[in-house]
Amino acid sequence: MKNSKQTEVKLADAGKERLLSDLPVGTIATIRKVLPNSRGGKKFADVGLVPGTKLMVEGKAPFGGLLRVKIMETSIAIHRDDAKSIVVGKEK
Amino acid sequence: MGRRFKIALAGNPNCGKTTIFNALTGARQHVGNYPGVTVESKSGTFFVDGNEIELLDLPGVYSLSSSSPEEEVAFRELTRSGVDMILNVIDSSIPRRSLYLTTQLAELHIPMLLVFNMSDDARKRGLKFDTEKLERYFGSPIARTVGRTSDGIVELRSKIAKLLENLDGHGVPMLTYGADVDESIAAVAEKIDSLGIKKYSHIPSRFFAIKLLERDSCAMRIPELSPAIPEAESQIKHLSDIHAIDADSFMADRRYAMLSGACRDSISMTHEKRREISDKIDSVMTNKLLGLPIFLAIIYATFWFTFTCAQPFMDWIEEGFAWLSDFVKGAWPAESLPYLKTLVTDGVIGGVGGVLVFLPNILFLFLAIAVLEDSGYMSRAAFVMDGVMRKVGLQGRSFVPLILGFGCNVPAIMATRCIESEKDRKATIMILPLMSCSARLPIYALIIPAFFAAKYQAMMMWVMYLIGVVVALAAARILKGTIFKGDGEVYLMELPPYRLPTLKSLLLHMWDRSKLYLHKAGTIILATSIILFLANTLPEKASFSKDYSALISEVEKSEPDKEKAEERIAALENEKNAEILEYTVSGRVGKFLEPVFKPIGFDWKLTTASIGSLAAKEVFVSQLGILYAEGEADEESVPLRQKLAENYTPLQGFCIMLFCLMSVPCFATLAVIKRELNSWKWMLAEAAGLFFLAYSLTFLAYQVGSLLNIGV
Repeated sequence: MKNSKQTEVKLADAGKERLLSDLPVGTIATIRKVLPNSRGGKKFADVGLVPGTKLMVEGKAPFGGLLRVKIMETSIAIHRDDAKSIVVGKEK
Repeated sequence: MGRRFKIALAGNPNCGKTTIFNALTGARQHVGNYPGVTVESKSGTFFVDGNEIELLDLPGVYSLSSSSPEEEVAFRELTRSGVDMILNVIDSSIPRRSLYLTTQLAELHIPMLLVFNMSDDARKRGLKFDTEKLERYFGSPIARTVGRTSDGIVELRSKIAKLLENLDGHGVPMLTYGADVDESIAAVAEKIDSLGIKKYSHIPSRFFAIKLLERDSCAMRIPELSPAIPEAESQIKHLSDIHAIDADSFMADRRYAMLSGACRDSISMTHEKRREISDKIDSVMTNKLLGLPIFLAIIYATFWFTFTCAQPFMDWIEEGFAWLSDFVKGAWPAESLPYLKTLVTDGVIGGVGGVLVFLPNILFLFLAIAVLEDSGYMSRAAFVMDGVMRKVGLQGRSFVPLILGFGCNVPAIMATRCIESEKDRKATIMILPLMSCSARLPIYALIIPAFFAAKYQAMMMWVMYLIGVVVALAAARILKGTIFKGDGEVYLMELPPYRLPTLKSLLLHMWDRSKLYLHKAGTIILATSIILFLANTLPEKASFSKDYSALISEVEKSEPDKEKAEERIAALENEKNAEILEYTVSGRVGKFLEPVFKPIGFDWKLTTASIGSLAAKEVFVSQLGILYAEGEADEESVPLRQKLAENYTPLQGFCIMLFCLMSVPCFATLAVIKRELNSWKWMLAEAAGLFFLAYSLTFLAYQVGSLLNIGV
């Protein structure tokens, strides 16, 4: 899904693939793929975490575990462990 | 002549489905539970053009992919025959996300009406819809509404009426997934058609074909469909060979692609204005450093509101019941049915009144909770607390129910439904009774001033709450490390935008929950009050060890000092009362169990009081009051405190509180545990476990304390 209207403040290292869990707050990136070994493939898909979607890391919760990610105009809390199976990068 | 129709209301969580439901059905609602799962079922009726319509409020879901109990319920209800129309509520301020469910609902090929709710938000965000194009795309009429202000409900009703007139002529299309996938869908659908399943003849086989290709667990479990599974599997393999995509998500990918196309043509954004205010609030509220302090301040404010602001109302209720009791006593014809009189005044009015006194607490607490929920802060609280809760093996969403537990365990246990992970939910329910509910407060309020100097009283109160929390968290850790060892479910939670709650929805929320408490007072408490009253009165002792009336009249004659005479008479009457009590059922049971409770510092009186507290924790106080023959005791009774201080040591006082805090919760809590876990076994295990926990910790405290001469 393309969200061309969103202004791109910062992009994850161009061309390089990184894990959602490693992105610093404020980064905007596009999902490249969702690693198939994760049990939540379908759940990810249901909230829009599918390849091609643009997302922004909005913040992190105190004491680490959760990330606040904006995806399709909605804030979603996702755990760092689950975010490890989401590969992001700049879309070609 | 009107006809009857059934309409299913479907939509994402937080799309405003409930406000639409309320606006359509008004007060004609029925709330219940789906059998076997802890998903609330809600239905209501309304009329359009003389037709009676049953509106079924499905749980809020993002998808029909049966990856949560809510989605399974939605799947089951929608595939069941008899649904004449689907009302799909869409948060039109986030159309792309909301319409994802619509693509799946369309596959059911049931007449559908799209409710573009929150259209005021959409306008503020600068979203423009080409309604005609969207209506054509989904083959369904669109109604625009603002649920919170009931704007557009009249048009919605007329559109429902119009669609009902021509149900067969609906134009819900078969959405295409692209040539390659459609080919596979067709192959599986053909296989399903060849099976000739009558039960699901009202649903196109294409729907099930798609579900089987998604490896949807609900569809796979339908026995009639199982012969088609091998075909679906070979198609999945075929597709992943060509496209190298994961079977779990390729359908989702295609749906988003479809939507993207549909939205590009028909939805435009005139000016880019995102949910800025909400985002700004969030950057403070969920801040890594500020988030926790803000959360603690909000919780403190909630407690202050609940306990301090409710106090005057509680005083009124207390006075009201005292007046009622006096009134009945005064109005009762003298000499007729004296037992019934005391049963009504002391048993029924006293017992039920003692519980209803807490109603303001409950109402205020739930009002505060409703504000937190409706404003959207609750999910932020879960977000902020998640890190802390994970340290004990739970998660952020467990925290809110635990806080509710300070008010009343019953609604708190029901609030655990928001926890998706089944094991986390079970663990949270199991530790919840350790949160010191407001019914335990009267016990502390009675005991603490009796045994502890004024300067330590507040600290002791705080210590009791703290012990509960610490033991609960330790128990959670043990439970999650053993029987509920992590199932590693994916944690995804939406943080809906902040909204100003409406008074109507706040009051509805508050009332829905407080009703349960009133129900408890009217049923369980009423019944146990009567039973305890009888157990405390019967059997009646006829012959006493001394002739009290003779002794009393002798005192009256021989004692010249009036004050002293009264004192001696009172002492004699107390002695007589004690004899009467020991003879009753309560007394006998207490005496019989005394040896068991002796090692934790309890005598028979405390033993019967703790049995009574099974009905409701606060019964402990009234029962002690009766046993110490002070008539109507409450936690303010100074003479009762004097008696306690004379009869027990501070160590025993502490043990009483400790035991009452941790032991078996009240029947109402046990009943709701049974219902929520859907198991007698777990409920009994919980009761037994808490009893042993309370017993062994109190035993330890009493024995160590006695040995070291602390507080004896």
